[in-house]
Amino acid sequence: MLGQSIRNLEADSLARVALANNAEELEAARIAAFGRKEGAFQQIAKEMSKLAPDERKHIGMLLNAAKQAVETALECRKQRFAQAALAARLDAEWLDLTLPAPGPRRGHLHPLTQIQRELEELFLSLGFAVLDGPEVETEYHNFDALNIPADHPARDAQDTFWLKDGFLLRTHTSPVQVRGMEKLGPPLRMVAPGRVFRNESVDASHEHTFYQLEGMMIDRDVSVAHLIYFMKTLSTSIFGRDVPVRLRPGYFPFVEPGFELDIQCLICGGAGCAVCKQSGWVELLGCGLVNPNVLRLSGIDPEEWSGFAFGLGLTRLVMMRYGIDDIRLLQGGDLRFLEQF
Amino acid sequence: MKFSYNWLRELVPGLASAPGELAQLITMKTAECEGIEAAGVLLDQVCAARVESVEPLPNSHNVKATVDAGPHGHITVVCGAPNCRAGSVAAYAPVGRKVVQGIESDGMLASGAELGINRDHAGILELVEPVGSPITGCAPDSIIEIDNKSITHRPDLWGHLGMAREVAAIVRQALSPPEVRALSASHGSSPIRIVIEDEQLCPRYSALVFENVTVKPSPLWLQYRLTAIGLNPINNIVDMTNYLMAELAQPMHAFDADLLRGGAIFVRPARRGEQFRALNEEEYTLEPSNLVIADAAGAIGLAGVIGGMDSKISEKTTRVVLESANFLASSVRKTSAALKLRTDASMRFEKSQDPANTVRALARAVDLLEELSPGIRVVGMADQQREIPPRPPIELPLAWLERKLGRAVPPAEVRDILQRLEFGVEEQSGGVFSVTVPSWRATKDVTIKDDLAEEVGRMIGYGAIPPRAPLFPATVPPANPERRFQHEARELFTGLGFTEVYNYSFVSEESVRAFGLDPVSYVRVANPIASDQALLRTSLVPGIRRNIVDNQKHRDAFRLFEIGLEIHKREAGLPDEIPHLAAAIYDRYGDGIAGLFEIKRAAECFMPGAKVCPAEAGPEQARPYEHPARAADIIWMGERTGRLFELHPTLLEVGRAAILDLDLRVIERITSRRLKYGTQYAPIRRYPSSAFDLSVIAGERELAGTLETRIAGFAGELVESIAFLRQYSGPPLAPGQKSVSFRVTAGSPERTLSSEEVSEIRQRIIEGMRGLGYDLRL
Ligand SMILES: [Zn+2]
Repeated sequence: MLGQSIRNLEADSLARVALANNAEELEAARIAAFGRKEGAFQQIAKEMSKLAPDERKHIGMLLNAAKQAVETALECRKQRFAQAALAARLDAEWLDLTLPAPGPRRGHLHPLTQIQRELEELFLSLGFAVLDGPEVETEYHNFDALNIPADHPARDAQDTFWLKDGFLLRTHTSPVQVRGMEKLGPPLRMVAPGRVFRNESVDASHEHTFYQLEGMMIDRDVSVAHLIYFMKTLSTSIFGRDVPVRLRPGYFPFVEPGFELDIQCLICGGAGCAVCKQSGWVELLGCGLVNPNVLRLSGIDPEEWSGFAFGLGLTRLVMMRYGIDDIRLLQGGDLRFLEQF
Repeated sequence: MKFSYNWLRELVPGLASAPGELAQLITMKTAECEGIEAAGVLLDQVCAARVESVEPLPNSHNVKATVDAGPHGHITVVCGAPNCRAGSVAAYAPVGRKVVQGIESDGMLASGAELGINRDHAGILELVEPVGSPITGCAPDSIIEIDNKSITHRPDLWGHLGMAREVAAIVRQALSPPEVRALSASHGSSPIRIVIEDEQLCPRYSALVFENVTVKPSPLWLQYRLTAIGLNPINNIVDMTNYLMAELAQPMHAFDADLLRGGAIFVRPARRGEQFRALNEEEYTLEPSNLVIADAAGAIGLAGVIGGMDSKISEKTTRVVLESANFLASSVRKTSAALKLRTDASMRFEKSQDPANTVRALARAVDLLEELSPGIRVVGMADQQREIPPRPPIELPLAWLERKLGRAVPPAEVRDILQRLEFGVEEQSGGVFSVTVPSWRATKDVTIKDDLAEEVGRMIGYGAIPPRAPLFPATVPPANPERRFQHEARELFTGLGFTEVYNYSFVSEESVRAFGLDPVSYVRVANPIASDQALLRTSLVPGIRRNIVDNQKHRDAFRLFEIGLEIHKREAGLPDEIPHLAAAIYDRYGDGIAGLFEIKRAAECFMPGAKVCPAEAGPEQARPYEHPARAADIIWMGERTGRLFELHPTLLEVGRAAILDLDLRVIERITSRRLKYGTQYAPIRRYPSSAFDLSVIAGERELAGTLETRIAGFAGELVESIAFLRQYSGPPLAPGQKSVSFRVTAGSPERTLSSEEVSEIRQRIIEGMRGLGYDLRL
């Protein structure tokens, strides 16, 4: 009798759970079955107290099984509804992620900054100090201390902006060599990137303001072989691969012997083109072993110490690397140009 | 400097390399070759042709000529030259047929200029050669151009003989220099006296006197040779001096002897204010620093630079004084620079020419003049010189050479290289060579053993030296915190959307005035490229403003910045160079407020905790280029680090620009101090804090920052932070008033504050502010 009621209640409850259309109907079904006061299973539990002990045991088992079945069904159904609700919410939150992010874009570092940093890092990793010198220099540091006395014809190659009192705008970064020797003495490994000035009219390939990187190493028995090693390391680092280089005689009063370092033309690979004037080679930098006079002028004994120095045109290098055909763009401040880097 | 390949090959008969190959060799071993030009390309086809008949053509200055062109046969050409007449022998070039005025013209009769022999366009070239023969001594040539900068140190390479000596050494062939007769023995004493006042300035002055001279055009071979290397043929005497300058690098000058006054030539400093009329027809006023060549009456030449008009060679000249002298390089250079007069002679002398060369050049002149002016007679020679002691030999230890080059070179090869370059080599004991420098390399170029290392290095070729890494102790290089800091600043500002620009260091007076600044306080360039680039910038802001004006043509809104040096005049010594960062946010639209707060945010990212402090004294503190009501100092860690402002609206046609101008020297100092002594760890608070809000009623222009400072003054130790929430003006507040709300947070590391403690703090602030006259909305 009671067993039949339990079976009916189980079947009814399961049907009600199955037919619930939403979380609210499901909750109503739960209360109908398990409500603490009015719940159907509660009613049956009350009836059970009237039964004989061994019958009560049998009916109790039936009741538990029925409760379990309904609870499981309830839980399943509940999760189904929760999942559906979550899915609906997520669907409603659909977003067009191709819309642009608000706020400014990242700005751009000037290409000359980028190349300076790259070379500074290279030389730092090789144990070179990165030094700065003033843009307004003394005639002594810019010329005399570099073995270019007044009336030396090599001054022709460097049209100079003169200020008062024999000061000038440095025509190369080489005076930082002198300042490096004065300040740090031997042994010395240093580079000095910076802005230099020449009194030249400006056109697509000439500027009165440009950038160089000076380098110097002074130690015992520094040789041409060491210089070549560093220059090859430098060019490999700049171009990211082993570019053929050649060293040929070049004249700079502060080195002896002096060299021009050419790299194989990147445009034509050495076959000859307009950029390399059909020679297959492009000048990259000037270098050489430090002239003993230069060491002596800075108080370093050339019998004990020797060194090499080089000067690299950063502006030219940037133009070469990016194929920039007008030097004026670099100091023109045009964002349409600068944002490409 | 231009070199004739044919000429070099005459001096090095064994030279087998083609011009292109030779140029490569010279580039790799000696000096930079800039290019090769063809000269006289038509000359291997040209022959002498007799004009047999000439027929005028109607309505034209052209004539129809029939010529006997030897191997080419009898030919008809149309010719426009006024000197085309029957019977003359002219240069015929078979350059193809074309129809001119209905007549088929086969080839042409050529002018000297068309053939590259001289610069004469006026008529066809008349020849003395037999019909059908090529022009004597004129063949196609290749002109190798050497970069002058790369031979600044080589006085000898300013002549063909010097370059030929290099070529001979490079290709290992014999040099065949022109024979030089012994002059002093065969010629009597000079009828002219040489007086050198200062033998330092003029170590040697040699002169030869000729008579029975006929001044006339040079033979074509000479004209061609000069033209090919870029010199202008003038007459046989002048051409001879130019030719020898191009051969020996020895400049010479010919005076008309009959125009000289007195029997002596003086080499002396110019008298102050002395007048001198030069060959270029310019009048110069001289100074004692200018060395002159003078006769009894005055200057007749500017030593080593240019001759004088008054003693110039002309067709009437029959007697010549030929000067071949040596002058101190720096003196010539000083004069040439001071008078802005650069000549082929001064260019050579300023490289320190070889005094031994003067007499050699005179001897060569005698050879040449016998051909160029037959019948010429040498009257005598003068040669005045300072005793020039021979340079002691240079000791070259071979072990040192190996250390210098980083590669061993066999002693025999070192010796061979030096000897091919005409150095004298003696072996001393113990692997040391004693090297004698030839006179043409001894003036300045080769003085120390390092110079010899270059000779050996370039001749073995630097490609033959394998690269080698040095073996030095690994050390940490000295740091450059300033530069590293600038790079960090760049990273930060690009991260915040600013693009980096580089501006010039030069500014114009006009732009300085436009910014309301005083040009007098600026460092000035004595020789600016243009008058608008005469001052050095004392601020990056004018450049940034220029960038804004330029870029707003293409963009409505943008951000940019620059890091560069301000250059400030100082009483004495070098100017003060201060690194600055200037940044701008431009917007064509809007009231400019958003930009100012964005750039303030950038400043705060860069300097955490920095305060923006508008001048207490009011807008008159603003600089002329700043918006007077929107400008403030930036104070960080108690120091003024820069300015934040809106660019004065009158400096822009449209839009607004927020500007940040920061002194990186101060900021870097503070930053590194903070890094060094920086932060001490404080334990994370374990007890919750309490917060309450306060709204202060204040005058409309009262600064929120001031209110915050005042609140902080009453807050006491338990207050952790005071944060601005919002501000409001409008009803129900009275006009001219605003309400500014702050959130005050209080707490303790040891316990949770009781509500009594919190309300006590709140009460203290309220009463304190009321005491200052503020109303509070609670
Ligand atoms: Zn190329």
